[in-house]
Amino acid sequence: MAAPNDGQGQYPPPQYPQEAPYGGYEGQASSPPPPQAGHADGGKKKKRGYATQAFEFGSGANSAATVGAPPPGGMPPMPGTPGFAGVQQPSPGYGGYPAQGYEQGGYGAPVPAPYDAQQPGAPAQPPVGGYQSPSYYAGAVAGGMGPLTQNMAGLNMGGPQQPAVPQQQQHQPPAQQPPRLALNQLYPTDLLNQPFNVSELDLPPPDCILPPNASVTQSPNANCPPKYIRSTLNAVPTTHSLLKKSKLPFALVIQPYAALHDIDDSVPVVQDQVIARCRRCRTYINPYVTFLDQGHRWRCNMCNLTNDVPQAFDWDAATQKSVNRWDRYELNHSVVEFVAPQEYMVRPPQPLVYLFLFDVSYASVSTGLLATSARTILDSLSRIPNADRRTRLGFIALDSSLHYFSIPKDDDENGETSMLVVSDLEEPFLPMPHDLLVPLTESRQSIENFLTKLPEMFQNNQNNGSCLGSALRAGHQLISPLGGKIVALSASLPNMGTGKLEMREDKKLLGTSKESGLLQTANSFYKSFAVECSKNQVSIDMFLFSSQYQDVASLSNLPRYTGGQTWFYPGFNAGRAEDAIKFASEFSDYLSSEIGLEAVLRVRASTGLRMSTFYGNFFNRSSDLCAFPAFPRDQCYVVEVAIDESLQKQFICLQAGVLYTTCNGERRIRVMTLSLPTTTNVADIYASADQCAITTYFSHKAVERALGSGLDAARDALQSKIIELLQTFKKELGGGSMGGGGLQFPANLRGLPVLFLGLIKNIGLRRSAQIPSDLRSAALCLLSTLPLPLLIQYIYPRLYSLHDMPDNAGVPDPETSQIVLPPPLNLSSERFVSYGLYLIDDGQSQFIWVGRDAVPQLLADVFGVQDRSQLRVGKGTIPELDNDFNERVRAVIQKSRDHLSRGVGSVTVPHLYIVREDGEPSLKLWAQTLLVEDRADQAMSLAQWMGSLREKVVQ
Amino acid sequence: MSGEAWLYLFAVLINAVNLFLQVFFTIMYSDLEWYVLAQLGTKASELHSAPSSSDYINPIDLCNRLNTYIIPEAAVHGFLTLLFLVNGYWVALVLNLPLLGWNIKKILDNTHLLDATEIFRKLNVHKKESFFKLGFHLIMFFFYLYSMIVALIKDEKA
Ligand SMILES: [Zn+2]
Repeated sequence: MAAPNDGQGQYPPPQYPQEAPYGGYEGQASSPPPPQAGHADGGKKKKRGYATQAFEFGSGANSAATVGAPPPGGMPPMPGTPGFAGVQQPSPGYGGYPAQGYEQGGYGAPVPAPYDAQQPGAPAQPPVGGYQSPSYYAGAVAGGMGPLTQNMAGLNMGGPQQPAVPQQQQHQPPAQQPPRLALNQLYPTDLLNQPFNVSELDLPPPDCILPPNASVTQSPNANCPPKYIRSTLNAVPTTHSLLKKSKLPFALVIQPYAALHDIDDSVPVVQDQVIARCRRCRTYINPYVTFLDQGHRWRCNMCNLTNDVPQAFDWDAATQKSVNRWDRYELNHSVVEFVAPQEYMVRPPQPLVYLFLFDVSYASVSTGLLATSARTILDSLSRIPNADRRTRLGFIALDSSLHYFSIPKDDDENGETSMLVVSDLEEPFLPMPHDLLVPLTESRQSIENFLTKLPEMFQNNQNNGSCLGSALRAGHQLISPLGGKIVALSASLPNMGTGKLEMREDKKLLGTSKESGLLQTANSFYKSFAVECSKNQVSIDMFLFSSQYQDVASLSNLPRYTGGQTWFYPGFNAGRAEDAIKFASEFSDYLSSEIGLEAVLRVRASTGLRMSTFYGNFFNRSSDLCAFPAFPRDQCYVVEVAIDESLQKQFICLQAGVLYTTCNGERRIRVMTLSLPTTTNVADIYASADQCAITTYFSHKAVERALGSGLDAARDALQSKIIELLQTFKKELGGGSMGGGGLQFPANLRGLPVLFLGLIKNIGLRRSAQIPSDLRSAALCLLSTLPLPLLIQYIYPRLYSLHDMPDNAGVPDPETSQIVLPPPLNLSSERFVSYGLYLIDDGQSQFIWVGRDAVPQLLADVFGVQDRSQLRVGKGTIPELDNDFNERVRAVIQKSRDHLSRGVGSVTVPHLYIVREDGEPSLKLWAQTLLVEDRADQAMSLAQWMGSLREKVVQ
Repeated sequence: MSGEAWLYLFAVLINAVNLFLQVFFTIMYSDLEWYVLAQLGTKASELHSAPSSSDYINPIDLCNRLNTYIIPEAAVHGFLTLLFLVNGYWVALVLNLPLLGWNIKKILDNTHLLDATEIFRKLNVHKKESFFKLGFHLIMFFFYLYSMIVALIKDEKA
């Protein structure tokens, strides 16, 4: 995490050229990044007693990083970055720690003995790898920013006022090309000589450079921040054939929400219900429209149609005063929410409905699932959104029969919760629906009593049946008049009634081509029922806990098509405190999340563009409309864009709109508008491509491929794609002359080969005979839903060296008061020293790695044990001890779980595993599979991978 | 009229049924596409503001409706092929085998039915297949007709 403390600061807003005068490009351009001195000191001081004396100075990964003097330039900057780098990036990430890179030269070379590389002295070698020389920096500024600054000179910097219709870029006849806009410059680098460094993944995407005057209000917030939408290409090819020639995908990664609760990520809300939309293409008015006829009419920036400005547009009905149009949110902010008037509803907004399906079979009771989930719901009743006091809850229990619970209102004197058992699973009879789904506010007391008693009711249940399918059908029948969420908590394979599933996993199939069949749906009920649910605005979330085969592949279809999510807790046992705490905390956050209801997502775009394919958890109700019975806040969606006609404008717009009902019954539309410049040459496309967004796109593609054609096909497609990209770059942009036998790729895409390798080696896709198909299916669900920052971490996990972390790591930053994380390391066992302490974190699980020579003082400080043999391995926690180092380690772990600061909402609390290098081998092996750059199982190491790519590309 | 002529007459009729079914399929797919286009246009964009249940009719119901014809169509074709086999009309049999194999493979793989969750992604594939079958049935129609006439002429001569 380069700048863990400011998610937004990560994205220097270059698209707002008007900020230049304040930023002052000249001065900052050459100023070096934050001094590394403190950093280096930290390296020395923090050795404390942990490193053995021989390594007293400059040992360990982090200190190695700081010994070699970083070239002043740091990263090859994206134009626009320099002005901000000095100001906003005081954290260590940015300055670069190039010596940390591979000193040993190209990947093809034989790998030296693992730990040698980190010996003192070695880093003194001038870093071949790492980053560009300072001249790149200057070059970037001169080439990239110069023209822009000049353009800006003429800009009117006054406050928003009726801007003259920009003559330059609007409505250009095709023949008369506007002066070319200087887009991001291409910096070819050699992948073999300048190996990838993990901190590059934290860089903001390449700037999206728009012509000056592009937005009508010149607002700095006019373009959509990458937090909400990232485009794989921040310069769009003007024609389909150019896109095809580049071989890069054009897709948007859309994450409409950046937090679980509005309060953590608020968006301006247009309250007055005046919603100006284009008559023809239905685009919402946005900062990129133009006004005509003294502001009486506006021209749509998508289809160019001229529309009337609504009467009330400049009028505030509440105060009965006219308002300044240029203050309206929708003309200043790319991300706004409109409160929708009556026309946007087919029926009155539905209340929030949660229907819980409890598995009460023996497996669920004996693992403590029933007790834990009932307890968690009980404790979270106040967290469930209920601002409008309409939220309703219902409960069904299931084993081999269905148990309905009718819950009385609190003011009903004679009311008593009663249970009705139904054993006919084919036509489950549904008793008195009004008592089964009760308002939380009016029955709070009765619900609490019920949840307290529920575990006792079934504590001696020996029944091994599970009629989950029938329960789902009954639940659907119960809530379909209203719509809502079905929350299924199950610890066993549904083995009876509707949608019955069989134990079909055969260990012998794993790792063979037949394995892919296990990832497909076993019973068509799970697809057809999902579609039925989507139709009736019912969304299903699956919480699965089995220690045996549960057919996650089939069950995950229900969330997949209803805007839900599959949560998998393999081998859950509430007897283990870590399991109980993880689930309870995730489930509680899940219940508190402010989900949307009855939602649809549509993406509109400038004429000539078409949304061709959508990826994510929803049902495609028509070719361009995605339906979500409930809209979660912790998922992202990928939309592929096709270029049907050649694009004439200097920049194009894309607008994503989510129409939904808030959980307190208000109909709203969240509109996000993104503008991207167009280009006619391949170099611009490559220079503006976003490697993280591209990886997200291919992750979704790979999951689709894995489910459809199998794992082999998915892996092969990934490999041939990266080869194709490298070949295309070599061919089109002639990188060949520079490096001789090297492998050329632009600086902004340098992470792509590693990310693809990480994807191929991810548990969801990697070739292995050891991965139970349930784990695979659950991983595939994550690969196709995780928000971008978490997905990238899931593909290329984080590695921090803790024993020698710099002084400022693990303590709050004085300015932001956010905990500073140590610099991340590349995922290679070469980074490890035998006396070290490391944190490996893929966002779903975290491993504390204790080296085999870790000194007793370290163990005592961190774990409070005298001797390494006392160290408990496996799931665990770091005890709270009264020493500075322990506090800092805990702070780092705490911070690594802070999703909010990274601009994503997520309920996930990763399990923490303590791994001893000389401890239990299976656990150690598991942790090592996260070291993407190492060779593992049947998968290549990074060196082999780069070697094979080079062979295919260079030839 | 000989048995051969009767058989080919029967084949012509059966084939006509399949031909019409394929025309129906093709129209329905195009319909769905038209529905898509309509949504892109003015009227349908309103849908963003009003998700109504009428929206749903097309993708889901279309799949359900078409799915009811898929097995009968394959069965009828299979029966016809069987007749050629039993009666030893090798040319007709060989001509029909590829389609029979294709149908059987799809049924065995359980991919013969349309899936509402994927219909929009696979629409092009379905359309291509439908066009292909249409062409096949059209050619076979003339083949059967020709064979029937030849058989009738043979009858005359005999
Ligand atoms: Zn328009």
